[in-house]
Amino acid sequence: MKKITGIVFIFIVCAVLSLTGCSNAGSRKNTFTFATWAAGVELQEFNEIINRVNQNADGKYKIEVLSVPSDYYIKLSTNIAAKKAPDFFWLTQELISKYAKMGAIADITDKLESSSNLTREQYYPGVLQSAIYEERCYGLPWIANPLIVFYNQDLFDEAGIPYPSPDGGWTWEEFIDIAKRLTTTKEDAFGNNYKQYGYVVDGWPNIETFIWAGGGDIIAENGVDVLLDSQESISGLAILNKILKAGISPSYSEVSSLGSNNVWFEKQRAAMFMGGIQDNFETKVNAMPENEQFRIGYAPMPVGLDNRSHSFNWTASTVMSKQVADNPLAYEIMETITLEFFKWKIAPPIKGEIDQVAKINPLKAPALDTIQICLNNARSANYVPEWNEINNSLWLKLYSKMLNDPDFDYESEAKAIAREARELIAKRK
Amino acid sequence: MKKSKVGFLFILPWLTGLVLFTVIPIIAALFISMTDWSIIGDANFIGLENFKAIFEDQMFYKTLLITVRYAIFAIPLTIFTALLVAISLNNQYKGTGVFRTIFYMPSIVSGVAVAIVFKWILDPNYGVLNSLLGILGITGPNWLYDPDWVLPSYLIMAIWGASGGLYIYLAALKDIPKELYESATIDGAGLIHRIRYITLPMLTPILFYNMVIGIISAFRKFTDAYILGGAGEEGIFYMVYLYGQAFSFYKMGYATALAWILFVIIFSLTLIVNYTKKYWVYSE
Amino acid sequence: MREHYKEVFKKVLLYIFYLTGSAFMLLPFFWMISTAFKPDNQIFTVPIRWIPSPVYFKNFVKAFEVIPVVKYMFNTVIIAVLKIGGEVFVSALVAYGFARFNFKFKNILFIILLATMMLPYEVTMIPTFIMWSWLGLTDSYVPLILPAYFGAVSFIFFLRMYFSTFPKGTEEAMVIDGANYFQIFYKLILPLSKPALVTIGLWAFLGTWNDLLGQLIYINDPAKYTIQLGLASFSNLTGETLWGPLMAASFIALIPVIFILLFAQKYFVEGIKMMGIKG
Repeated sequence: MKKITGIVFIFIVCAVLSLTGCSNAGSRKNTFTFATWAAGVELQEFNEIINRVNQNADGKYKIEVLSVPSDYYIKLSTNIAAKKAPDFFWLTQELISKYAKMGAIADITDKLESSSNLTREQYYPGVLQSAIYEERCYGLPWIANPLIVFYNQDLFDEAGIPYPSPDGGWTWEEFIDIAKRLTTTKEDAFGNNYKQYGYVVDGWPNIETFIWAGGGDIIAENGVDVLLDSQESISGLAILNKILKAGISPSYSEVSSLGSNNVWFEKQRAAMFMGGIQDNFETKVNAMPENEQFRIGYAPMPVGLDNRSHSFNWTASTVMSKQVADNPLAYEIMETITLEFFKWKIAPPIKGEIDQVAKINPLKAPALDTIQICLNNARSANYVPEWNEINNSLWLKLYSKMLNDPDFDYESEAKAIAREARELIAKRK
Repeated sequence: MKKSKVGFLFILPWLTGLVLFTVIPIIAALFISMTDWSIIGDANFIGLENFKAIFEDQMFYKTLLITVRYAIFAIPLTIFTALLVAISLNNQYKGTGVFRTIFYMPSIVSGVAVAIVFKWILDPNYGVLNSLLGILGITGPNWLYDPDWVLPSYLIMAIWGASGGLYIYLAALKDIPKELYESATIDGAGLIHRIRYITLPMLTPILFYNMVIGIISAFRKFTDAYILGGAGEEGIFYMVYLYGQAFSFYKMGYATALAWILFVIIFSLTLIVNYTKKYWVYSE
Repeated sequence: MREHYKEVFKKVLLYIFYLTGSAFMLLPFFWMISTAFKPDNQIFTVPIRWIPSPVYFKNFVKAFEVIPVVKYMFNTVIIAVLKIGGEVFVSALVAYGFARFNFKFKNILFIILLATMMLPYEVTMIPTFIMWSWLGLTDSYVPLILPAYFGAVSFIFFLRMYFSTFPKGTEEAMVIDGANYFQIFYKLILPLSKPALVTIGLWAFLGTWNDLLGQLIYINDPAKYTIQLGLASFSNLTGETLWGPLMAASFIALIPVIFILLFAQKYFVEGIKMMGIKG
């Protein structure tokens, strides 16, 4: 018995000792780890970029890659808990406020202000906003993937509908109208009837898109006020409800029978699709047998009740672990790698780089002007540390219920969730 | 050496492992359940606040109810299925070996793969199940999308995977002395009679074992429930809720408290079953 | 005459049961294999096409481009081999102690053993990881392999039940001959338990082959990846999955497992034939 107690004692002592020591090494080292969710082919590309950066660094510093192919945030947070946080890692935009509040990532506002290689002004404002919490900047976004409307020009021609302008200006009313005219029953090669829809909505686009279309928002920019139950937000939800009632989209359970929502557009079962500018429909269509191909047109997101076009922007940032904040090389590395990322993915989140999109994927060339407009209109929701909980409720209690039941009382539910959100925010310490 | 000392030596490896690897994390887990730890931030001691919050948490009751309802049906169903399959395969007919392998196959795939494939099988519009029902002239339900059919969906998956214990049952069945069956047959006992009065009683240790295992795994059901969900809030199992609290909302303290409550529930149920052991489990 | 028809009728019923059951059991595997041989645009078609035409092999090529399939399987085999011996043997030792001896605190200890099976591992996962990181053993196979040599709780529970079904006088003969209990365990009990040990061995192998989270947490270096980590590389954070190549890789990953299953099945049957002493 005594022996066993002894072992336990030793472990506890080691525990206490380890918690206190060893965090000073962060400010002096020159080998760094960079964690990413890239895996498979994407990881190979990522490694090429890091190798390039390492070569150019010429011994000044070295970066090692930590790839997490699955359950990225579990492994990340576990390592942070063990005080072994990777020095740099990717974070999707909704989590930046949480990681910042919990003290896991470093405030880089001053470094960003004083640098001339990559400045605040270069970023599209809507994109950089996603990395800002309580007016301080915590990450460098390395991609902007705002929503754009893809439409099937062949199906438009067939129905005799003029194309929407690639410069935008069409309203949601007009959009719904067009979708209605594109929803018909058709016959396939075997003589079987099938339904062609004007549009696909199954939880994507996200609920923010519709709330913004009414001129509302979920949380205000100050990160405290809840706007979900405002008149504008409810009008936005009304637009979503109108779409769902109009029968212009396959039902929620029907969508996944083809695998995922984008397949509906690819198989010409839906005439219009709201996807990120990155979605590679062009590549897929090119690879199809000729009789299945179709011409793709582009338009910016429809204009909402506030006379503005809102493109939800999916973005992620590189952030720096607090442990390495004092290291003089750290920000330089973060900046250098981010600039390399700008050459990698569609689209670079800084102004003046629109041609880069066509360089990365030449098939996107016809879309450049529209993509530019979407980038200018790119925005995200105002993420607060409680975002995941609020978003979870928005999906479970509001959006998914609206999808399954067009008569669902979304107004009452939105008000209930707004109350819930206020309680959560009030508990913030 | 005294016999009891020898016994202790035999279990020493496990005991050592317990002390080395398990005791500290468990004490840590106890401590964490009394904090507001967010994994990536600091842990502040808050006493029993998590537990108080749990008892006022609607989702706690909801997900617990979903899990209990599942357990009530799944445990007997899986035991019965496995037993049925094992008894039917307990012979030397041609091809039995092949069939045994086939019936065991579901247990060799990972939970993730199972979930992905069943998502497709149970698809209400074009999945295999509804297609087959369609051939018989029945319109299949909306399986994982309809609150009333979520439980049956998971029960179907449970039955599919029930033969995990196939070989255990087969081994146990082989252990039943043939003479018992022979004398029973001579006395005129039919098949059902033989199963009821010889097979089942001799299998009670295994049935007991499977019941305990069944309780533990039903309440801890996770992987496929996490991937498939089902009908919004109606398909959230307790462990899926716990997992979300821990890793999506970064409320590890609260999640750990939820885990301890689950532990107490499972432990109590097992104690109850264990208490009834002397009444129905056969032992030498 | 009627007896004969009854026999045939029963057998026919039995085979119908076998065949329908098998179809149900194998359904997901058919879909997996079918998908592995289809190009992208034929996978989610309506109605389902079971037999791909033409048969498309590029998924397999693509799978190998995404991850080194064979290497990852090899890594997993290494872990499995290093684990199984320990897990099975030590679990049997411990189970034997619980099953056939009486010693102080036995019941309490056994309850503790059961209890450790009941607490969800998610809550001890991070403290355990922290422990291993103090020892500097993360990014290695050690945290995955070492605990195996102290027994696996669910195996102990099962084997204890199994050993307790042996008749009381099983060890008697050897005790009288003056053998110590370890010899009895090794020379008598283990051989008698072949079917149970084979079953456990199979579970141990499957546990390693299919363990994603444990391997994810403790392995950093892609060169050390296991097959589950490799398969996870076919879908990304936003949920896009390369279905065809994933199914191709999963199919390849399944082949060793099926072999092990057939192998275990053979050993199992042999073990059964050797049972004489227990009836």
